[in-house]
Amino acid sequence: MKTLVIIPAYNEEGSILNTIADLQTNACDVDYVVINDSSTDRTKAILREANVNFLDLPVNLGIGGGVQTGYRYALENGYDIAIQFDGDGQHCAEYIKDLIAPIVSGDADFTIGSRFIKKEGFQSSGIRRLGINFLSALIHMLCGVKVYDVTSGMRAVNRDLIAYFADNYAQDYPEPEAILAASMEGARVREVSVQMRERQSGVSSINAFKPIYYMLKVSIALVLSRFTFRRRAK
Amino acid sequence: MISGKLQFVVLVAVLVYFLVLFYMLNKKRLSLRYTLLWIFSGALMLLFAVFPGILSWFSSMIGIMTPTNALFAVMIFCIIMLLISLTAIVSKQTEQIKRLTQSVALLEKRCRELEEANPAHTDGQEVRETVAL
Repeated sequence: MKTLVIIPAYNEEGSILNTIADLQTNACDVDYVVINDSSTDRTKAILREANVNFLDLPVNLGIGGGVQTGYRYALENGYDIAIQFDGDGQHCAEYIKDLIAPIVSGDADFTIGSRFIKKEGFQSSGIRRLGINFLSALIHMLCGVKVYDVTSGMRAVNRDLIAYFADNYAQDYPEPEAILAASMEGARVREVSVQMRERQSGVSSINAFKPIYYMLKVSIALVLSRFTFRRRAK
Repeated sequence: MISGKLQFVVLVAVLVYFLVLFYMLNKKRLSLRYTLLWIFSGALMLLFAVFPGILSWFSSMIGIMTPTNALFAVMIFCIIMLLISLTAIVSKQTEQIKRLTQSVALLEKRCRELEEANPAHTDGQEVRETVAL
């Protein structure tokens, strides 16, 4: 199956090449594309020098708009599976084959790489876990899907969801909302156990903002989108 | 009842309002599709200024003591509607800009790859930098 790894990158000059090297050695049968979201550091120059396959956004769109560009690219180029993979070194390419296995076998439409199933590797701080657990419970309540690691940025989708996300993708803090949206579309969501590392460099898109604002915004967005979506038949 | 003095002031204000509105429309500094709501609320104010009886009737009907307060209530309602429509316009434009940005990035990549495949056309460098702005 034609598989694309989408790597959103905003000011990742210190880690982007390591991420790509990791992919090339541990997941060599997949294509990748880096989305440079108008980085203000040397990310673009580094990508160009290293002859990396990349898309260059002329205006900063944030993580949602950036990742969506990758889905549009996947759609245009006829990929069967698209994987989201952070450019900051948090994700390990060796888990990609586990991540896409349920999609390849047709058992799931959407898989999420989860730190919390085997509880190995980097686990995030206590207060963050509290927030993640709350959002996880909220999503479970709203659409009946139980996902533990709702903010995980390591995920894979099949062809139908590539087309759906190319057209509709949440903008500000899209990870939890994408789970709800996909399950309302009738997608079968499954979590796959992976290990993550602590970021090698750069700043989290969540960390930079006030956590209370994040929680409020995401909770409201989830509740609102639950009532504006019409559930599709499974 | 609204005093004749207030009626006169409102009348003059509404006329000035319409003058500014039509001047800007004429100079194409406002586009008509986003100006209709402004014209409607101006027309409402004009109606109240010319026929204050409507306002007295309206305020007694919904239980507001003085017609002036009813006037404020109507104006605030108009302003809220205008603000909502502005937010709607901003949201739509954000979505449009996002889509355009993504398309530019997708096209830029194809363009870059074509240039790399045909080194004869590499004087496109300058164009690319302009696009990046």
